[in-house]
Amino acid sequence: MAVTTSTPPDERTPDTAEGAPEPRRRRGNAVDVWLGVIAWVVGIAFFFPVFWMVLTSFKTEADAYTPTPKIIFEPTLEQYEGVFSSGIGPYLANSVGATVISTLLVLLLAIPAAFALSLRPVQKTSDVLFFFISTKMLPVVAAIVPIYVVVNEIGALDNIWTLIVLYTGMNLPIAVWMMRSFFLEVPGELLEQASIDGAPLWRTLREIVLPIISPGIFATALICVIFAWNEFFFAVNLTAANAGTVPVFLVGFITSEGLYWAQLSAAATLAALPVVIAGWVAQNKLVQGLSFGAVK
Amino acid sequence: MAEVVFDQASRIYTPGAKPAVDSLDLTVADGELVVLVGPSGSGKSTALRMLAGLEPIDAGSVRIDGRDVVDVPSKDRDIAMVFQNYALYPSKTVAENMAFPLKMRGMDKEERGRRVRQAAEMLGLTDFLDRKPKAMSGGQRQRVAMGRAIVREPQVFLMDEPLSNLDAKMRVQTRAQIAELQNRLAVSTVYVTHDQVEAMTMGDRVAVLADGKLQQYATPPELYDRPTNAFVAGFIGSPAMNLLDLPRSSTGVTLGGVEVPLPREISDAAGSRDRITVGIRPEDWVLESTDADAGSVIKAVVDVVEELGSESYLYAHLAEDTSTSIVVRGPGRVKVRFGDPIAVRPNPEALHVFDVETGQRLP
Amino acid sequence: MTTTLERPAPDKQAGGAPMIDRAEGWRRRAPLLPALIFTIIVTQIPFLLTIFYSLQSWNLVRPGSQSFVWFQNYADVFTDSQFRQVALNTVVMTLGSVLIAVALGLVLALLLNRQFFGRGVVRTLLITPFLITPVAAALLWRTVLLDPTLGLVNFVLSPFGASGTEWISEFPLASVMAALVWQWTPFMMLLLLAGLQSQPTDQLEAARVDGANSWSIFRELTLPHLRRFIELGVVLGTIYLVNTFDTVYMMTQGGPGVASANLPFYIYQRAFLGFDIGQSAAMGVVVVILTLIAATFALRLLFRTFSGEEEAA
Ligand SMILES: Nc1ncnc2c1ncn2[C@@H]1O[C@H](COP(=O)(O)OP(=O)(O)OP(=O)(O)O)[C@@H](O)[C@H]1O
Ligand SMILES: [Mg+2]
Repeated sequence: MAVTTSTPPDERTPDTAEGAPEPRRRRGNAVDVWLGVIAWVVGIAFFFPVFWMVLTSFKTEADAYTPTPKIIFEPTLEQYEGVFSSGIGPYLANSVGATVISTLLVLLLAIPAAFALSLRPVQKTSDVLFFFISTKMLPVVAAIVPIYVVVNEIGALDNIWTLIVLYTGMNLPIAVWMMRSFFLEVPGELLEQASIDGAPLWRTLREIVLPIISPGIFATALICVIFAWNEFFFAVNLTAANAGTVPVFLVGFITSEGLYWAQLSAAATLAALPVVIAGWVAQNKLVQGLSFGAVK
Repeated sequence: MAEVVFDQASRIYTPGAKPAVDSLDLTVADGELVVLVGPSGSGKSTALRMLAGLEPIDAGSVRIDGRDVVDVPSKDRDIAMVFQNYALYPSKTVAENMAFPLKMRGMDKEERGRRVRQAAEMLGLTDFLDRKPKAMSGGQRQRVAMGRAIVREPQVFLMDEPLSNLDAKMRVQTRAQIAELQNRLAVSTVYVTHDQVEAMTMGDRVAVLADGKLQQYATPPELYDRPTNAFVAGFIGSPAMNLLDLPRSSTGVTLGGVEVPLPREISDAAGSRDRITVGIRPEDWVLESTDADAGSVIKAVVDVVEELGSESYLYAHLAEDTSTSIVVRGPGRVKVRFGDPIAVRPNPEALHVFDVETGQRLP
Repeated sequence: MTTTLERPAPDKQAGGAPMIDRAEGWRRRAPLLPALIFTIIVTQIPFLLTIFYSLQSWNLVRPGSQSFVWFQNYADVFTDSQFRQVALNTVVMTLGSVLIAVALGLVLALLLNRQFFGRGVVRTLLITPFLITPVAAALLWRTVLLDPTLGLVNFVLSPFGASGTEWISEFPLASVMAALVWQWTPFMMLLLLAGLQSQPTDQLEAARVDGANSWSIFRELTLPHLRRFIELGVVLGTIYLVNTFDTVYMMTQGGPGVASANLPFYIYQRAFLGFDIGQSAAMGVVVVILTLIAATFALRLLFRTFSGEEEAA
């Protein structure tokens, strides 16, 4: 993120009056330091539950259930072993499969669509855009009944491809919007130059446009990954042991094992970890993506 | 190498609105460098883009080397274009940028490399061939854009304000380089600029556009010496020509209460008009002593003095008629200051006269 | 359902370009079609089926019970007092969480939009809740944080004599909202921070030279500049939070009673626990209609936000 901090409010042009610039500056710094401290406190407060979850995942159940929460304890990997031995593996594989394949499909469909809506706009561009975004406005609950019935009818319940198709449909509208705003940032002169140079359309796209918008593609993909990985509603209603994803595993896990906090924390940590790390690594891109490129 | 012809070519962006380029007739001879100049919005870029195939031609035709190109896509027009912002491909190195149009034409790798190296040498880019455009200065990028045009060895070069992103000094330097290069390669070139100095120094011929219409198409000296209408007269030259709307008198016109005689043929051409527009370039005033006889010199009061070193410009208003301002060129060092009186006399041999209504030159 | 696309596009020409011929028109449209067709199939057809099912009496556990009953299901839905309660919950939950998250996010963005030691780290800490799988987050809130005897919240509050509060059963809706706010505040913060940082510094400097103080700069310049980012945050937040299911499912199961149930959860209960296809479809249709009304406003907002880049349509 471009670090364009605004001038701190108290840093005015130094007065020549008795006030003398010195103490004033010091006061400004003091305010800054305090606001910095507040920011740290809030940051830690927001993060603390996550920290506690990770911490708990390394405790024994006995250490997890204490009236006074324990910070010092003997860390153990016992919970993670427990989670793995209760079979999170296939669920993780399903999550990875559904997330990766649906994200690739989304990109495959969204990139050409966004291209048609930006660089070589078709007629009625804004109607099409409106249609795409309006599908996001309609709650999925209203569609789940027929989806269930149809999926049941064609024998595709508890099938990973069902989730892939639905996740693609779920992320596609947002992806089209995001990709379009990234496409719009490609200078028109470049395309004109390419057409004078005699590059066919697909080459212009591949060799010139895609390298420029690759950060945008990355951001779009990341957002699709987050939403697909974390999706629960379709997964819980349409899958079971076969095609279940990690969130489904979490639910099944607590119902079968009861609420054991330490083990639960280990499972939750494993469920959240991939997306958290991806988000941390790409936080700048995330903002740009989510604001539809409205932010440069 | 080719001749380029605009034949009554027009571009109308919005149906019913005024054409952005209106029935343009222009011929660029083989190997010639023609500059399109005009104020902002006059249709220069549009005309160039019509030639490039980036804008459709709504009426008339454009021919390159005798071939009507109205329906020919840009890539088949055998032209190369240099854009104002250079339009370098950010993901490609300098060498790849320059080689790209050749690659698209299916040229083999060896020949590409040879041409790129040759162009890079010509432009002093040899050391930068592996850099990305991002890591280069404005002037260097400009040269890469030039290089990409050169390697093509096209029939026509098109340039749309290629120097406007450079600082003043770079601009003068690059201007000379481009002119020299074009001369050497002898490729017909259409060059768009709004900078009249660029136009006058670079162009073999200059086309002045205003409101989408061609005003005059001539060599720079001719443009300066015989502007065909008041617009061109005012547009070419800096500071601009003094254009004064004056009443006729028996032998000429009256300016600041003084009788200015007109040469015979102008007087004849002006016919029975009551008023005419008289154009006097700043250098065509003669500074006289302020003591001179009142009837023979025009008295004025200085508002601003611009001293440029080798010459100076005096901005003044007439003593008799304070609403009329004039610009007078003086020697490098002048003693007059704000509020000082001066006395001037136009050189009658160098007057330009235009019709008040139509702005057309007389005779 | 969205009717935006059904109108055949008259060949309105932009500008005076020579008519783009049919072939060229299709060439330009072609890249759009796969995405469009896919979206129509996956999102529109189910809605049409929802309408169809909503006119039937159909319970999955009684095979052969399917019959056409016209608007009976709708009548049932509207006389269902629980449904009204749940609809109200949905509005409170969605708007409440979004607005609180935006407000908190704005404060955090302002805090982070200044130089201080470890700013990047603080931002990383702050965005983490948004990335956590909602199911895991809900579990975390329900157990580690809000457990009446062993939860951290009561532990922290115990010096103030608040120990033993049964948050989940006493304040179910508020508990769910707390978890949602925790997850969505970081998102709003990121968005608004980006907005703050996209404000041209020369504008701020000019105002400072003009003698404006910090507060008036914020009110007169920063807030108007942030407006479209705030609107975007509200619209996106609403789109996602209306559909909240996982948090309710994991934290409260909608209970006690329907005190914390929202429409997605309620419909889920009807369809997958009651197996009443007809009624849940009817509820779905009602939800769509309500959402469309809300969405029309939201979309206006969104389109104005982007009007800068839209051709006048
Ligand atoms: N895409 C467009 N749609 C509608 N009108 C346009 C478009 N492009 C240019 N125009 C109009 O056409 C006229 C000529 O524009 P053009 O860009 O050719 O001017 P120019 O001479 O190059 O000006 P400048 O020196 O500012 O670049 C202007 O009045 C402009 O407003
Ligand atoms: Mg231009």
